[in-house]
Amino acid sequence: MTALGLAPPTLVTAPPLLVLEGVTKSYGPVPALRGVSARIWPGEVLGIVGESGSGKSTFLRMMHLEETPDAGSYMLNLPGTPGNLFDLDRYDRAQLRARHIGIVYQNPHQGLLMKNSSSGNVAERLLIAGERRFAILREKARGALDASEFPLDRMDAPPIELSGGMQQRVQLAKAIALEPAVLLLDEPTTGLDVSVQAAVLDTLKRLQRDRGISMVIVSHDLGVIRVMADRVMVMRHGIVVEEGLVDQVFQDPQHAYTQQLVHAKL
Amino acid sequence: MAYVATRGGERAIEQAERLYRARMGTIDAARVAEIEAALPALVDRVMGEASLYARDLAALALAQTGGDIYEALLLLRAWRTTQPRLQVAEPIAPDGTFTHRRISAAFKDIPGGQILGPTLDYAHRLLATEVLDGMPHVPPPVTPAEAPCHATHPSLAAWQQAQGLLQPPDPVAVDRNEIPDLTREPLLFPAKRAHSLQSLARADTGGLLSLGYSAMRGYGNAHPTVNELRLSEAELRVAHPNGTVFSAGRVPVSQAEVVTTRGKDGLRLGFCATLGWNEIKVIAGATLDLNAPGAAKGSPVEQEFVLYHTEPVEASGFCIHFKLPHYVTFQSALDNLRAARANAAEAWGAPGPAPVPQEEPAE
Amino acid sequence: MTLSDLARPWRPFSYGFLDASAKREIRRKLVKAIAVPGCQIPYASREVPIARGWGTGGLQVTCTLVTPGDTVKVIDQGADDSVNAASIRRFLARVSGAATTLDTTEATLIQSRHRVPEERLHAGQTLILQVPNPEPLRPVMPDMSIARQMHADADYGRLWLVLYEQMVRTGRVMLGAAYPSLVNGRHVMTPSPIPRWDVPKLHMADHLTILSAGREKRIFAVPPHTRVEPLVFDDVPYRVEEHGSLTCHKSGLRGYFMNELPQPDGTALHEVSDSHLGEKAIRRAEGEDVRIAETWYRNGELAP
Repeated sequence: MTALGLAPPTLVTAPPLLVLEGVTKSYGPVPALRGVSARIWPGEVLGIVGESGSGKSTFLRMMHLEETPDAGSYMLNLPGTPGNLFDLDRYDRAQLRARHIGIVYQNPHQGLLMKNSSSGNVAERLLIAGERRFAILREKARGALDASEFPLDRMDAPPIELSGGMQQRVQLAKAIALEPAVLLLDEPTTGLDVSVQAAVLDTLKRLQRDRGISMVIVSHDLGVIRVMADRVMVMRHGIVVEEGLVDQVFQDPQHAYTQQLVHAKL
Repeated sequence: MAYVATRGGERAIEQAERLYRARMGTIDAARVAEIEAALPALVDRVMGEASLYARDLAALALAQTGGDIYEALLLLRAWRTTQPRLQVAEPIAPDGTFTHRRISAAFKDIPGGQILGPTLDYAHRLLATEVLDGMPHVPPPVTPAEAPCHATHPSLAAWQQAQGLLQPPDPVAVDRNEIPDLTREPLLFPAKRAHSLQSLARADTGGLLSLGYSAMRGYGNAHPTVNELRLSEAELRVAHPNGTVFSAGRVPVSQAEVVTTRGKDGLRLGFCATLGWNEIKVIAGATLDLNAPGAAKGSPVEQEFVLYHTEPVEASGFCIHFKLPHYVTFQSALDNLRAARANAAEAWGAPGPAPVPQEEPAE
Repeated sequence: MTLSDLARPWRPFSYGFLDASAKREIRRKLVKAIAVPGCQIPYASREVPIARGWGTGGLQVTCTLVTPGDTVKVIDQGADDSVNAASIRRFLARVSGAATTLDTTEATLIQSRHRVPEERLHAGQTLILQVPNPEPLRPVMPDMSIARQMHADADYGRLWLVLYEQMVRTGRVMLGAAYPSLVNGRHVMTPSPIPRWDVPKLHMADHLTILSAGREKRIFAVPPHTRVEPLVFDDVPYRVEEHGSLTCHKSGLRGYFMNELPQPDGTALHEVSDSHLGEKAIRRAEGEDVRIAETWYRNGELAP
């Protein structure tokens, strides 16, 4: 005890929120992932870069529990989620996914019901999680859309009638509706006009800061990673060739492939 | 003041049936024999769709229903339900059947030759109205060839497989008495191979034609070439419990193989066979069989879509069921409509913007 | 030993029309259906001498269950004298030798198209409902095989969304007959196209309800004392049709589900849909001693 009666300062190391170890997956003779590991700490943004065929999207699908790998483990450090998530059965995986993991796909058709209302798309998540009060569904849908900076006067418009940027905002609202521990984003702004990209990234950054959600952003666009991520993993042919703090990796890439990427794109 | 007595409904249906049957008048064995002799193609079609080989019963069903094919099918299938299952016969090898007609569009000539057999393909389709004027049409006799044709013909697909041209099918080893039977088990998807072939065998000819035609016009993913079309008679070989195998007679069967040349690993086959001779059905059916693998859900050639909607007894029954009273469900829907109009104030908040038009969900 | 010793005389059909193999399959599937309330169990479904879509599913179940000691009632839209009900009743009598009745209280087996009788059913009575479409997810998923997986995953979000969207667009739930209901807290089923008025009768009932779709080849069941809860938002109450205050112009009965009969002068009369209940009420009014059982609804409201 110090003179003031306080305990001496101790270094507090928060345990990682998400730990994936040795994830391996082949599709027939094609190895998509060859022992990929990753850790994500609470409140941080991890970027995953690579070109097509690197395995980054497959890895994201594993994180989203859409598929199980041939080998590897996946632990989520949250109350009530013990053990290797890859061992869960289909039903439990779906429940866990709905409750704790949000996702935004590159193609809004993949993540949204295009002909239902935008608020309905968000409400569906809440309904799956068991919310049965209509008033609460409206309120929470409105809240999530608002936080995603979606214009509320169009909250009941179906996504099919909206612009690309607005569709991504609906996806975002849907993803954060249950306040998940982690948000996965697969090329979230690819295909959008540059100015719209900037606006969506702005919203993402604000959300991340305000809510402290952990995020994993997969992108081939190093610019997006640089704006959004704290750390980055570089993938190539199913393995991680380099990882570290974004600034470090981009300013001082060690691996030849990273050097190539950075040189070409930044 | 009492309700309409139950008898009222029963009396009505009895008279309705009598009205229908009055059109056909007396049905006797002679009429049935005449139908069997005069309309072999129709009898064959009905046997195939009823999945029951019984010429006289098929002709009787047609006589009884006045030629309404769907009603005739229902009679035959319902009757079939009551019959005991004695045995599963020996498998039929197409190259062992007695050939009446065997052609291929894939090659100009094939081992065993192109056997035209009985067909109207090359006939001029002229209506013989002179028959109505009292001049019966007597068909000119067939001129026999110099040498009789072979009784059996080899399989072209076997030759193609030996050449390494054809993707070999994946055989499923199963005891003859364990073959999945569509009439004894529910059809679930993705369907077992036995179930899908059985389903095609007894499918509605018109239904297969419609959907097959859509595939031929590009709504599918594989354009067909007729590899081999066969109309033959197959020996029904059954085994006595003491082991003796004997023939219980011959049944006419038709089958078609169609190929697509666009497979990565060689020619890919589609197949369809049925009881009786029905070329349109087997060619269309084989085309749909060819198009099923890889077809997207919701496309007109996707297996679940095809097999569900080409079931003649189910399709026709459901179609005509819409004639049944539906006034209770109608009343329930009217109630909603009226309540929505009258109690707009009770509704929850302001309605949202005009929705994207939604289809009325199927019943 | 001769062939005639081994064989029995040929009969056109078995007892109850269906042969032993068909009945065995249906019995086994019924046991499964009762063991997993509300879950659709696929079955082969034989053709029977009425057209598909006209009650072959209900008929196959009744034929499987019927014994010579049973008493069978058959109704369509609530009426015994409907042509379809009359036709089915005749067939059942012919193939089973069982007694038939118009009186709900006397029946052991009740085969019905789209109505549940108004008089409460008791243990020992079985209600067999004819089902045209067994799949409650059809409006959001026409593909039966995908819908089947959705039931296995309890993936009902898109069905709930139908209710949500109706609330957003019109301020009320617009589902009519065949209201999707959660059975035993696990499977969502369609109760068949019975009106909303009838769905509460299935909840925690004393009787067994079997639902059978012949054409679509699915059987499902609600065992006695099982929860059947229409899908509703907690803050938007379930509404039955507003028939509580209607009066039957023939029998004077009030507060039961009615048929609307448009009149030439532009008005409408009503008659009670449960036709034999109406008849009993008339006969009682004329002095006859008829037995009318306790009804689920009293004074137009669901009795507790």
